Amino acid sequence: MMLPTIELEGLEVQLGGRTILHGLTGVLKSRAIGLLGPNGAGKSTLINTLLGFHKPIKGSARMLGLDANTNGKALRALVGYMPENDAFIAKMSGVRFVRYMAEISGLPPDQAMERAHEAFVYVGLGEARYRPVGTYSLGMKQLAKLAQAIAHGPKVLILDEPTNGMDPPARKRLIELIREIREASDICLLLSSHLLRDVEETCDEVLILRNGKIASICNLVEERRANRKFLELETVGVEATFTAALEALGCECAIFSNGRIKVVMPDTVEIREVFKVAADRGVQIRRMNHRRDSLEDIFLNAMEQTGAADGRI
Amino acid sequence: MAVYKRRYNPYTGSLTAAWSRFFVLTRFAFLDLFKSRFFVLLLILAIVPNLFFAGYIFVANNKTVQLLMQIRSADFLAVETQYFIIIMTVQTNVAFLLNCWVGPVLISGDLTNGALSLFLSRPFSRADYVLGKLAVLSILLSAVTWVPCLLLFGLQSGLARNGWVWSHLWMILPILLCSAIWVLMLSLMSLAVSAWVKLRIVATGVIFIAFVIPAALGEMFNAIMGTYWGALLNLSYMFRIVLERGLRDPFRLLAHMGRHEIPVPAAWAVMILVCLFCLVILNARLRARETVRG
Repeated sequence: MMLPTIELEGLEVQLGGRTILHGLTGVLKSRAIGLLGPNGAGKSTLINTLLGFHKPIKGSARMLGLDANTNGKALRALVGYMPENDAFIAKMSGVRFVRYMAEISGLPPDQAMERAHEAFVYVGLGEARYRPVGTYSLGMKQLAKLAQAIAHGPKVLILDEPTNGMDPPARKRLIELIREIREASDICLLLSSHLLRDVEETCDEVLILRNGKIASICNLVEERRANRKFLELETVGVEATFTAALEALGCECAIFSNGRIKVVMPDTVEIREVFKVAADRGVQIRRMNHRRDSLEDIFLNAMEQTGAADGRI
Repeated sequence: MAVYKRRYNPYTGSLTAAWSRFFVLTRFAFLDLFKSRFFVLLLILAIVPNLFFAGYIFVANNKTVQLLMQIRSADFLAVETQYFIIIMTVQTNVAFLLNCWVGPVLISGDLTNGALSLFLSRPFSRADYVLGKLAVLSILLSAVTWVPCLLLFGLQSGLARNGWVWSHLWMILPILLCSAIWVLMLSLMSLAVSAWVKLRIVATGVIFIAFVIPAALGEMFNAIMGTYWGALLNLSYMFRIVLERGLRDPFRLLAHMGRHEIPVPAAWAVMILVCLFCLVILNARLRARETVRG
C-alpha cells in the first residue's frame, strides 16, 4: 500500500508565543501537492514544521510515513528543499555550492561533482556555473536553489514560492522544469505558492490554508475528471425568474451584482437551452463565458467560508 | 552519467557514512582557506618559531656545535619544563592570532545569505554543523600548539641522553590538556562571535575585546575591592596558571611577580564556563528559521 505523502494530525505550532497552525488534520495522497493561502496563512510554517525546523506543541506531521518531529533526520534524508528566501553562499561558484550541498546530503565527492554539473546544466545555468552565486540575478539564484534541491536525487521535493521574482519566460521555464522532474521520476512534490497558476500547472492536489487553518483540501485530478461546466453570464432583465427556470432544468445558479449570474450546467443541458429560457423570459444575455471549475474558484470559495472545527474552516 | 543529458535523473548510487559528513564542512573550509595567500603566509609564520626552538634544542644537546660556536653549556637554558612553557606560551599566542584571522568568517558566510537552512534541511544536525566548523579551528590551532610542542619533545628525547625521556614523560599529558582547553576555548569563542557578527574586522575586534576588556574590569575590581579574584576574568592569566601548574614550573613567573594565584580548579572552571557560554550562544544563533517574539 502506498503511504500518504503528507499526514497531519491535530498539528498545532506556536512561534514567538503565537499560535500559527491551529490543529491541522488532513491526509494528502497525491504525488504533487500544492500549498495555497494568502500571506500569513501558515504555508511556510507548515513546510518548516515538516522539515523539523519547528516543533509542534500538539499533534504530528508525517511525510511518507516518517514523523517530522521524532524521525526528522530520516525524513530530511528524503527531501530536497528550495527555500523561499535567499539561501546561498555568495563567494562560492554555483557548481561548487551545489556540490557542497550534495556532499552534505551524503553523496561521495566524485558523484556530487558530477551531479552538480548535471543539475546546473539541467536547470539551464550551465554557462554560469563557474561564477560566484552572489553575482547571479534573482532568477538565476532561484534556479541555483532548485539545482541544489535536486542534485542529490531526493524522493520529496519541497519548493517554497519557487517562481518569486522571476520574469514570465523564466517562470514558464521553471514550471516546465518542475513538471519534467515530476514526470521523469517517482518524486513527490510539495509546492507552496501565492500563484494559483503555478499550483494548477504542477499539482494534483491542493491544501488551502487560511489563518493557520485548513480552508480546503481539494484533489484537482478528481475535479478535472468531474469536468463541471460553468457559464458566466451578464444579463439584463428579470434574473430571478430566469434562474428559477434554469434550476428547473437541473442547473445550479448563483446571482451576483449587476446582472452577473454563474450557472453550473449538468452534462444533459445544452447551451442552446439557456438561450431559449432567456428568450422566453425576455432576458438579454449581453456576455457569456463558457469555462470549467478552476482552482481560482476553489480558492475563492475556500477563502469566503468561515467557521472552524478540527483545524478546518 | 553524462552532463549533456538534460533530463532529471534520480540518484541511485552509494552514500557516505552519516557520522562522517561533518567533515565535508571542514574540507571545504580548508580548501577556501588555502586559496588565501595571506593565510598561507600566516601559517608559515606560525611555524617559524618552532624552527628556532628546534635549532636551540639541537645546539643545547650538541657539544661539537657549542665548541664551534664558542659558547658554554652553562649559558644555555636547560631544555626542561621551563623551556616547554616558553614554547607553549609563544605558540598559544600564535594560535590566538591565527584564530582571529580564520575564525570570524567560518559561520558568518553561511548566515549572511541564509544558507544555514540548506544545511539543516538535510540529514545534518546543528551539532554536526558546529562539529564541522569546530574541526577547522581545532585542526589548525592544534597544528601550531601541541603538535609542534610534542615534536620538539620528541626531538629533545632523541638528542638528550641519560633517560631524559622517561623522567619527562609526564609532561605529555599537561601539554595535551592545556593545549586542548586553549584550542577549544579559542575555537568556540571564534565560532560564537562569527555566528553573531557578520563583518570580519568587527568580529576580530570582538575577540580581542573579549580578552582585554574583562581582564581590565577584573583588575579594576581587584583594585577597588582589595582582592585578587577579579583575575578570574583574565582568560590569558587563567591559561597561564593552568599551564605553569600543569608543567610543575619551579620558577613560576606569576608567583615571582608577587601576585596571589587563583586556584588551578578555579582557572579550569572559568575556561570551561567560557566554552559552555559560547555553546549557549551558538545554540541561540544557529537556527534554520529565526522566530520573532511578539
